[in-house]
Amino acid sequence: MTTQMTRASAPRTVTGKTSRPVRGTAADVGRPGFAWAVPATLFFALFAIAPLVMVAVLSFMNWNGLAEPEFVGLDNWKRVFDDPVMIQSIWLTLLLTFLGVALQTPLSILLGVWAAGKQRNRAVLSAIYFVPLLLSSTAVSVLWRALLDPNFGVPAQATWLFGDGNLFGAQSTAIGVLAFVSTWQFTPLHTLIYQGAARAIPEVLYQAAEIDGAGRFRQFFHITLPQLRNSIITSMILMVVGGLTTFETVLILTQGGPGTDTTISAYYMYQKAFKSFDFGAGAAIALVLVVAATIISLIVVRLSGYDKMRGTMEGMS
Amino acid sequence: MRFSRVLACGVALAAALSLTACGGNGSSAGGGDKIHVLVYGDATNKVEKAIVDKFNKTSEVKVVLDTIPGADYQQKLQTIINTPQAPDIFFNWGGGSIVPFVKADLLLPLDDFIAKDAKLKDAFLPSVFDSAVVDGKAYGVPMRGTQPVMLFHNKKVLADAGVQPPKTWDELLAAVKTLKAKGITPIALGGGDQWPTLMWFEYLYDRIAGPELFNKALSGDKNAWAGEDSKKALSMLRELVDAGAFGTNYDSVKFTDQGSPTLLARGKAAFELMGSWEYSTIQDFDKPFAEKNLGYTAFPTVPGGKGDPANLVGNTNNFYSVLKKTKHPEAAAEFLKLMYSDDFVKQQLAIGNLPTTTNTEQYLDTSANPAYSRYQYDLVKKAPSFQLSWDQAYPQSASTAMHQAVQQFFNGRLDADGFIKAMQALPTE
Repeated sequence: MTTQMTRASAPRTVTGKTSRPVRGTAADVGRPGFAWAVPATLFFALFAIAPLVMVAVLSFMNWNGLAEPEFVGLDNWKRVFDDPVMIQSIWLTLLLTFLGVALQTPLSILLGVWAAGKQRNRAVLSAIYFVPLLLSSTAVSVLWRALLDPNFGVPAQATWLFGDGNLFGAQSTAIGVLAFVSTWQFTPLHTLIYQGAARAIPEVLYQAAEIDGAGRFRQFFHITLPQLRNSIITSMILMVVGGLTTFETVLILTQGGPGTDTTISAYYMYQKAFKSFDFGAGAAIALVLVVAATIISLIVVRLSGYDKMRGTMEGMS
Repeated sequence: MRFSRVLACGVALAAALSLTACGGNGSSAGGGDKIHVLVYGDATNKVEKAIVDKFNKTSEVKVVLDTIPGADYQQKLQTIINTPQAPDIFFNWGGGSIVPFVKADLLLPLDDFIAKDAKLKDAFLPSVFDSAVVDGKAYGVPMRGTQPVMLFHNKKVLADAGVQPPKTWDELLAAVKTLKAKGITPIALGGGDQWPTLMWFEYLYDRIAGPELFNKALSGDKNAWAGEDSKKALSMLRELVDAGAFGTNYDSVKFTDQGSPTLLARGKAAFELMGSWEYSTIQDFDKPFAEKNLGYTAFPTVPGGKGDPANLVGNTNNFYSVLKKTKHPEAAAEFLKLMYSDDFVKQQLAIGNLPTTTNTEQYLDTSANPAYSRYQYDLVKKAPSFQLSWDQAYPQSASTAMHQAVQQFFNGRLDADGFIKAMQALPTE
């Protein structure tokens, strides 16, 4: 529910501001009737707005799923903000999101630009890099949980690197595993975005640069990177929103442990609602997540100038 | 529709429940000639199916067996139990797994059934039957096998190290020292699952303080956790952990993915404290080891402790409870009577479960593993107290915090005072 909301809210702001008519004027194209928007609006209202409103109401109620819910005013909200585990979970969520962006962005830019080239082995290797994206998060997490078993997995074979292999027993290594597995899983998606964008960079730019004597590194930093600007922002928004709503990876790999050391907000919400049957507190945490994800997405959009969608083709043509 | 219905439907959807859509005809509300029985989906279902078929042959009211597979049974149950999709009879673990339902006035006390047929109570071992008694009223009838927790060992590893299975706590500590010196992890522990760690607390508290301490705490007397006995149990656990009994990476090992039982079977560890399902778990992946080299004993005694050395902890059994709103209480009563029938006992024994009826004893030789069944049956029958696992005795809402506390005590994030505070903070109803 929260995922749909936050995912939906970011692009909406964007498209709302970019729908300036490109060809001709509004008069000669003609606006489509409101009827066209009815199915999507209904769907959105039923599966995004309505649950969100219900969650908002529920956050002021005490409900264990059995008895009639009762209004308790701000109780849930007070408890949530007094709860050290909740405060910690917000920091952990932000940390994991930051790690995701910091690890995946450089990797996927390099891979994407490489995959956009014309090398002979490119198609085969790209296909292999693409595989993690085809697996569900659950499958990926189960796979890595088994691979990282301290006695029978990779750590047992590489004790020089992993020591006693107690990766899930300490906060730092458990967070490291979560960041690594997300990176392994989602880098292919972003690679794909960058591959497409890098293919779209006009060849003439590189030809001109070559004539001017620019080497491969200068070409990369002065042509490729600036040309990829909009794609970088797109991919970063996806990473941020994805990072804030990470759930399955934590559910399967660490269950928020050791103790509460990797209990991120989305997982804490699940724990409160479906493990402790405290649906009121779960709903409050869900709303905090929705608001936080929306604000962060808006900030990224504003700061990056994505909402203006400045072209990268100035001076061309 | 009441708001709770709407919420319940929303929650049920969110839980990706694969039952029929909201608002449809409920099982107990509709038809009139069916009752729905909901059970945890696993290998034992074949016995439940056979029992249902037998019942349907003679009964006017037919039983429909529904299963919810997987570990999230309790979560899913709680999201449907107060909706029209609720079953008439459902599987549970007794204790805290049904207390919230009793408090919400959803369950039918079975006292009337028992008044008409005393065997619904007397045909079962009392220490087991009592797990589903809430506020003096019976709410459940045992319907599967008992699963006491025992100390398992690898016979070959112990023999090679010249160690006898420990009978006392001091012998266990000595064994830990010897095994560690030989480079073997003394005790396998699936700390990643958290509940295996809890078993060590359950037994040590019972040996030192007897079952009274925990029962007091469960009834709301939070001071019980702060007493001398509690501190003694914690310091002994600390000593065991610090002695390296569990190695260093136990929090990365799980029981549920066969991590810890494999350590035992491969001889990398010497002991594991686990429920009686350890045998069938190991049998699944290493049958020769399970049959030849898997040893089992009761938990060691603690000299000077108040608890009876014959006391047990674990899953006493699973239970069938009946919903108050069922349209066919008579049929439900008839169905429950099958749970002490000879047929039921034989079928459970044949697949390796150990029923807790008084007539089980005469069929023990037909069990899949007679020696193992008899050993457990005697343990359960002789136990003055059979403590239901703490995380099932407490309400479900307490289990996450309880699991976190035991894990954090073992890895040193909580000291004894911190652990006591965490236990005192648990909800008891």
